[in-house]
Amino acid sequence: MSTIQDTAHRSGATALGGRGIHAVPTMPILSLEGLRKTYRDPMTLKPFTAVDEVTLELERGEIFGLLGPNGAGKTTTIKLLLGLARPTAGRVLLEGREPREPASRSKLGYLPENPCFYDHLTPLEYLDLTGALFGIAPAIRRRRASDLLERLGLGAHARKALRKFSKGMTQRVGLAQALMNEPRLLILDEPMSGLDPVGRSEVKALLREQRAAGVTVLMSSHVLAETEPICNRVGIMKQGRLVEVGTVSTLLQSGVREWEVAVEGMSDAVAAPFRAGGHDVERIGSRSVVRVRNGDSLQDVLRQMLQAGIHVHSVEPRRETLEEHFVRVLDGRTVARGGRS
Amino acid sequence: MRGVVAIAQNTVREVIRQRMVLVLALFGVGLVAASQVLSPLALGEGRKVVTDFGLAGSSLLATLLVVVLGSSLLHKELERRTIYAVMAKPIRRSEFLLGKFCGLWITAAALIAGMFAIVLGVVTVSYGETPWLVLGAMALTVLELGVITAIVVFFSSFTTPALTAFFAAATIVAGNFADDLLYFGSQGAAPWVARATEAVYWMLPHLTVFNARGAVVHGIAVAPERLAFAAAYGLLYLMALLIVAGAIFERREFR
Amino acid sequence: MRGWGGMVVAVVLAAALIALSGMVDRADRARRGAAAREELLYYPSGVWVRQATLGYETAAADLAWLRGIQYYGEHRLSDQRYDMIGHVMNIVTDLDPRFTQPYVFGAFVMSQELGQPQRGLELMEKGMRANPEDWKLAFETGFLHYVGTHDHAAAARYFARASALPGHPEYAERFAAFAAQRAGDRDMAILLWKRVEATGNKYMQEVARRELRRLGDGAEG
Ligand SMILES: Nc1ncnc2c1ncn2[C@@H]1O[C@H](COP(=O)(O)OP(=O)(O)OP(=O)(O)O)[C@@H](O)[C@H]1O
Ligand SMILES: [Mg+2]
Repeated sequence: MSTIQDTAHRSGATALGGRGIHAVPTMPILSLEGLRKTYRDPMTLKPFTAVDEVTLELERGEIFGLLGPNGAGKTTTIKLLLGLARPTAGRVLLEGREPREPASRSKLGYLPENPCFYDHLTPLEYLDLTGALFGIAPAIRRRRASDLLERLGLGAHARKALRKFSKGMTQRVGLAQALMNEPRLLILDEPMSGLDPVGRSEVKALLREQRAAGVTVLMSSHVLAETEPICNRVGIMKQGRLVEVGTVSTLLQSGVREWEVAVEGMSDAVAAPFRAGGHDVERIGSRSVVRVRNGDSLQDVLRQMLQAGIHVHSVEPRRETLEEHFVRVLDGRTVARGGRS
Repeated sequence: MRGVVAIAQNTVREVIRQRMVLVLALFGVGLVAASQVLSPLALGEGRKVVTDFGLAGSSLLATLLVVVLGSSLLHKELERRTIYAVMAKPIRRSEFLLGKFCGLWITAAALIAGMFAIVLGVVTVSYGETPWLVLGAMALTVLELGVITAIVVFFSSFTTPALTAFFAAATIVAGNFADDLLYFGSQGAAPWVARATEAVYWMLPHLTVFNARGAVVHGIAVAPERLAFAAAYGLLYLMALLIVAGAIFERREFR
Repeated sequence: MRGWGGMVVAVVLAAALIALSGMVDRADRARRGAAAREELLYYPSGVWVRQATLGYETAAADLAWLRGIQYYGEHRLSDQRYDMIGHVMNIVTDLDPRFTQPYVFGAFVMSQELGQPQRGLELMEKGMRANPEDWKLAFETGFLHYVGTHDHAAAARYFARASALPGHPEYAERFAAFAAQRAGDRDMAILLWKRVEATGNKYMQEVARRELRRLGDGAEG
């Protein structure tokens, strides 16, 4: 969880790039306080809490990944912070403003989940409409629209009706419209979905570029491999609750380390005591891999191996991947105490 | 306000690109053509028949356009979630609604103007005289369409397209019967019925205010004070509806 | 619409709307009163038929008019019975009281084809009540009195009334003078029928030619 000092330390004039009028360093770009959203079934009136007591503060210039399984409440959280849905409890502040105020959205870019734009327009016309809604002068928005379409690889399709766009192409239009107003805060609901591998790496490059320009990004995803390399911090949601928040490295440090000891020519008889000691032994051809769970027993295992004259090929520490961590957290084996609750 | 203009422009574009207008325009031309066929059968009253049919047809078609397209205009945005990206821009929901209203009204007015131009042209060519007086009826029809558009937007701010079309049609029918309602209510019904019908009578749009078709075909001009009165009544009525619709829409949950 | 300014504007708008609604209400009540009186004079259906057209009453009147003419044309070729023509023209003129041709045509048919000039004159009376300033309706009423009921004094009265109304042609005055002087004259009847032959619709022209032949003046027409 971020702290005030933390935020103050990271933000400031450089992160804002001099763009901001509200460049008060202590004002978080986005803060959620005890946010809750309860839906009621219109027939049975049974309440269902989609977002539960979410508290979070974004730091300027970071890329924050909101992770969680399907139905965790990521999209609902995003709708709440845009004012598209109203919270049952708690509040949202966008640079100190309520999301209901239109001005709070003037420096915000938003990519909806599975976006859908007006069928009857071309991307150029849609971006022009977007620019008009932001109050951008016609000449500027025309130039920006064609630049963005070029940038997102849609230059050749600028005058084709959006009706004829594929999913990935629509996703790119969605990114373009989110960038039309040169936002200070980008909110992207599953930006990678529907994109081909080239598209994904392009988007990653784009996001890094935006971060370098001082833009703060909040993105939701469940494709962790895509998220891990670009996010400064991630938050993991589970059943509406934000169960863990932190940088990728701190989250993973708390995970159990493991060593993989690869050896050459180890017979089953020699392997038996290791198995008995609770280590996994896996045989691949003439090679065997022994997974050792903690540092203390590693010393013992290695000593035994050397005494038995086994040729140790390599010893590798294996960190938990974000994906494994994610699955472990969601299994509920280690519901983090520090993160929330 | 710039948001309202942008949404209105987009709505006009949407309606025009939906070919609906083309179909309607063809229908309008066809109607005038049909009345041309009928005019020799009218025993010398062809000019009146063509003018009547032209005016009635254009007003009917424009009303149809507003009710049919208008009732799904908002719902389609919610259903396809195109509204999400738009509402994340610095624009109020009530401004969005106002933009939709303006766009639809402008389209309907343009359609009316086009169809009246066709009527004027056909009558001029066929009978050698231009019935300029119908322009008074046209102005009133445009005002009426404003009220009808506001009715459609009002209902669509809280209900489904089917119900919107139904309620709007019912309101239009009842609006033409407004004065009879009072009469029915006064014919020995229970006092609470009388009071209820009286309340409905006051709330309904009195659409007869906007109907000068019967006068202009007989060469009676629409008096400027009648036009001014209808404009004041129509604009106030539609503003009242839009304010209520905006308040409802601001509070509505998007799915 | 925030704060007091918005509040004041809203209150002013609401008050203005209420005031205008009151004016609409007064106009409606006046119209309803007049319609109710008219209803008692005639039959109760008329006004309701008009409402049922939802503001398209003149176009509906045209349709009824076209249908009425078709009815007349069909029966003229077959059995020459036109019993429904009065009913149809009543509906047409209920829908569009300013549409004068149906009064004239309906009354003409009832008088000259059905031999019921009295019914024809009732339709003309209705037309003149709805259009008191219309010279043509007064003139045609005089005509029906002259050739239908042969009430030449009444004919002279209506010709005189027509020639006092705006827009009347010069011949209205001529006929008013003739009718006053030469009541019962066959020449007068011929002149009147010649006028129908010159100005009436094609069916009326045919009837006029028939009448002129009967009066022994067909050769010229
Ligand atoms: N309008 C709504 N009415 C009722 N329940 C809703 C509504 N919107 C969302 N929910 C429920 O809230 C929960 C969270 O949904 P949400 O869309 O936020 O999940 P998510 O984390 O975005 O999932 P995904 O990764 O699949 O996009 C789900 O159980 C969903 O059924
Ligand atoms: Mg989602």
